[in-house]
Amino acid sequence: MKCVFEKLTIAQRLAIVAILLGFIAFVIGNPTDKNKITVNAKELSLSAIQLKDRINTMTLADWLIKEQSDFTLVDLRSEKEFNEYNIPTSVNIPIEELLNSDLMRNQKIIVYGNDDITSAQAWFILKSANYKAVYILNGGLNAWKNEILFPKLDANANEEQKAEFEKVKQISLHFGGTPQIVSGTTTTSVVQQSQPASTPKIQAPVGVSKPAGKKKKEGC
Amino acid sequence: MMPYYKFEYFGFDFSLVIAFIIGIGFGFALERGGFGNARILAGQFYFYNMRVLKVMFSAIVTAMLGLFYFAWIGWLDLSLVYIGDTYIIPQIIGGLILGIGFVIGGYCPGTSFVSASTGRYDGMIFILGIFFGIFLFGEAFPWIESFYNSTNMGRVTLPDFLGISYGMVVFLVVLMAVGAFALAGWGEKVMSKKTGRGVE
Amino acid sequence: MTHGKSFEPKPYSNPYLVGVGLGLVLLASFLIMGRGLGASGAASTLVAVSVEKIAPEHASNNNFYKEYLGDGSTNPLKDWLVFEVLGVIVGGFLSGTFAHRIKLTTEKGPNVTNKQRLIYAFIGGTIMGIGAKLARGCTSGLALTGGAVLSLGGWAFMFAVFGGAYAVAYFIRRQWL
Repeated sequence: MKCVFEKLTIAQRLAIVAILLGFIAFVIGNPTDKNKITVNAKELSLSAIQLKDRINTMTLADWLIKEQSDFTLVDLRSEKEFNEYNIPTSVNIPIEELLNSDLMRNQKIIVYGNDDITSAQAWFILKSANYKAVYILNGGLNAWKNEILFPKLDANANEEQKAEFEKVKQISLHFGGTPQIVSGTTTTSVVQQSQPASTPKIQAPVGVSKPAGKKKKEGC
Repeated sequence: MMPYYKFEYFGFDFSLVIAFIIGIGFGFALERGGFGNARILAGQFYFYNMRVLKVMFSAIVTAMLGLFYFAWIGWLDLSLVYIGDTYIIPQIIGGLILGIGFVIGGYCPGTSFVSASTGRYDGMIFILGIFFGIFLFGEAFPWIESFYNSTNMGRVTLPDFLGISYGMVVFLVVLMAVGAFALAGWGEKVMSKKTGRGVE
Repeated sequence: MTHGKSFEPKPYSNPYLVGVGLGLVLLASFLIMGRGLGASGAASTLVAVSVEKIAPEHASNNNFYKEYLGDGSTNPLKDWLVFEVLGVIVGGFLSGTFAHRIKLTTEKGPNVTNKQRLIYAFIGGTIMGIGAKLARGCTSGLALTGGAVLSLGGWAFMFAVFGGAYAVAYFIRRQWL
């Protein structure tokens, strides 16, 4: 057997190797199975400890106001919930469709659900599937509502706290929220409102924000 | 994970250095294969020297297998490898035209640079021709634009188009290439017997 | 292989080995950059830049040139393909030097004059330039690169190139044979 192989020309040997590799490829079928992921436990746990994967609502609000577009905001909830209200510029990708979506592994992705649990699960799935930059909105949509849309200031707040609240109030109004002042058991809106505080109807353009894409030509 | 550039292992400026280095490898390989010489390139179309087919298909098979296996072991994110949109009609027409230019001029863009760099005047003139052709195209563009942008099928690969698995297409391509090599070798032998001169 | 002090041009290497080598270069480009090779794109950039220098308004009004000139924030010559093609020139020269194949000459068949050959080269180049732009690529970028990633356009293009060349070869045979 060995001397048969040695008698062949280089070209013939290459051909045999190629056919072999090709056949194995045929048996493998598809090189990437989107549904199977390999978890690198050490990497994930280190990432978790470093707390680098969390984004606060204030930070996100700031980025949105500045119209920073180098990230993709993903709403993990159902379509119905998404249509009722979603954070401006977010895309609706229910958690079960994450790996089938258009998300690219080199994109900066921020995920949120109503609370932290769904986001954490999505974070786990995406990180294990080798998405490199995945972040969780700390507190999820509940935190967004409490801290951004309906921030509350205690009536007995001191000057410093009132000054802080001014800033928060501006941000809140930007997103169509209703800042409120709480004293005892009564809550009064800072802004004159004829209706009770409710989540604003958002007509924000919903689209996938591509990563800082200088439209690079990659053709020839 | 690969491709390294898409995961920001380095920036745009360094990528230009990479481009230069890869270009050196490309040019070196082309010249090694004799592609700086128009007579060898043209030989493909008269069956006396089938190098173009041998080199091209070996290169394609090598890179194709490489892509498949690197993706399979999870080192390469295939979705981040650039695949241009398929504009089927302009690309077929363009290909026919390019083929005609190839056999008249004796080079293709890449090989013409290699030819010029090894001193061939015809390679240098060919490059000037390319510039002129692109210029004509650019000037005529307003009239050609809609044709140029027609029949865009998006990013279509053979597995998508044929409805079979990636691995199966890989296997078929390998078989086709090996078959073509066998035919090419036979063609060269027949031609050299006929014309009485060896394969160049 | 010739040894010793001979400066005779060395014979060309085994095409299959060269092909594998070329394939590895192409693969490296995919793995490092996420893109393949190219050549005609660099030529287009050079043409666009030249037109822009001579007639800037015309260039910026033309959708084709605009694509290669970018938005003005970076020098259009700082382009991946331009640098790659510079490398191709250097690489070709190096290989030719090692193999003693550098020669100021004109490659042609025995039945045409140098002048005729150069005219054909220019015409061929022109036709090729048009074809390459129409197809959005050339053999390096579209056939090799597109072929390796199994792009439908790339494969269709490759067959068209061979088809076009073989169809016309008979009529040009005087130049080569």
